[in-house]
Amino acid sequence: MANELRFLVVDDFSTMRRIVRNLLKESGYTEADEAEDGVVALAKLRASKFHFVVSDINMPNMNGFQLLAEIKKDETLKHLPVLMVTAEARKEDIVMAAQQGAAGYIVKPFTKATLEDKVNLILTKLGLK
Amino acid sequence: MESNDPTVATSAVVAPDIRQSIGLLTRQLHDSLNGLGLTDKVKGWAGELPDAKSRLSYIARLTGEAAEKVLNRVDQAKAQHDHIAAETRRIGALIVKDPVAAVAKGHVMNFLTDVEASTKQIDEHLTEIMMAQDFHDLTGQVIAKVVNLAASIEEQLVQLLIQTAPPAPTVKAASPAVEYTPALAGPVVNPAGNPDVVTGQSEVDDLLASLGF
Repeated sequence: MANELRFLVVDDFSTMRRIVRNLLKESGYTEADEAEDGVVALAKLRASKFHFVVSDINMPNMNGFQLLAEIKKDETLKHLPVLMVTAEARKEDIVMAAQQGAAGYIVKPFTKATLEDKVNLILTKLGLK
Repeated sequence: MESNDPTVATSAVVAPDIRQSIGLLTRQLHDSLNGLGLTDKVKGWAGELPDAKSRLSYIARLTGEAAEKVLNRVDQAKAQHDHIAAETRRIGALIVKDPVAAVAKGHVMNFLTDVEASTKQIDEHLTEIMMAQDFHDLTGQVIAKVVNLAASIEEQLVQLLIQTAPPAPTVKAASPAVEYTPALAGPVVNPAGNPDVVTGQSEVDDLLASLGF
């Protein structure tokens, strides 16, 4: 099942997108696409099927909170788990993300084990693993 | 006794003028800042500059740590790579000498186990080298903030120059660059003693758990 799951990695830094994609690949999730901000991400989510979103928060055009809100108010996308991976370490941001429906929250810098654990935990909760 | 040095006489005459000019300029600057409503901004810069300094220190620390981490991991990976290369040569020689004995005595099997373990460790080093590149994202966000501060100061100073410059020649204001200004806080440069931020993933998990998420 892991290989069939399709991830969308959203971050304005290409380095971070590559890191997250590589880590997902090492964890067995080989299907992943990238978006550099919320606007591009939303267009990709509406254009094709994804199972999981890993998103940064601090991005131009549409930040991660705005993307999360757009996903949650879209009937066709609201089921998607969104894992926030961000340098935003303020408690109010973490609480806000949870209240808006984020499936998880990781603060940068993070480890491979942290990403793997959170992704697996979310997928297990959703019965996708 | 009278001095024959013309500069002495000149300094004596000019000094009050210079003082007067500096005083006038200071007054003009003060009035201009007030007139342009920049006093508060200048106070803001004064507050932000130490923050910019700590942000630059953060960048220096993060890039230094990343470089150190990469070099350490490369050293370890190279040592393991050298070990595999040496073992390959040794086992190759044993096989050439007596293939049956090399297999029967377990040399080949031990070598394969050794290679498997080493490649696993090298893969871990490569993953860590990749992870060390996250400094690009973290420092990039901090650099953007410092650049925005510098751009803001520059813009206000140009505005001040325009307001205080003589009528001709006209100084044209540089069009303000349309820069992306992050509205969020970005990486925490100095988390010590700040109760509003978390310092690691375990605190994030604890916070979310305490809220029932």
